[in-house]
Amino acid sequence: MNSRIALLLLLGCTLAPVSQAQIKHIEMRVEGMT
Amino acid sequence: MKQHLGRQSGVQNVEVSLNDGKVEVTPKEDGQIDPAQLLKATYDSGVTAAEMEMTARGKIVKDSSGGLALQVEPNQSFAFAPNELSKGLEALAGTQTMVTVRGQLYKKQAGKKKPDTSAPLKLLILEVQKKE
Repeated sequence: MNSRIALLLLLGCTLAPVSQAQIKHIEMRVEGMT
Repeated sequence: MKQHLGRQSGVQNVEVSLNDGKVEVTPKEDGQIDPAQLLKATYDSGVTAAEMEMTARGKIVKDSSGGLALQVEPNQSFAFAPNELSKGLEALAGTQTMVTVRGQLYKKQAGKKKPDTSAPLKLLILEVQKKE
């Protein structure tokens, strides 16, 4: 049981940084807009 | 254009400022957004994108050609256009350190109206906001 919890914690630590990664904002400057 | 961009995958909100020609796109929290697709959608809606900047958080990785890239999703990364700021991030390649950067993904070339979406967009880092 303990080993399962430890494995889950390890997996969580490994996957969490990538899942928190993301594009937060995009800004464009455009021409020809009326 | 606002509606056209708002229909793109991963887009939560689009704000358009007619005065200064600025378009701000807010991605969905859990969605994957494709900046190259946004550029194409902008052109398809009848306006020309002069430049595009992105703020993103991710890990520094080395791509297949040995260059540095920012990985924002397991299957989405942006190669860096080399500059002093990207050199400063080299030591973080392959580590779990998360980096938040603001950078330029696209700048219109003189005389060209249509963005070249065949080549992957390169990220020219303008600012490293956070390392954690």
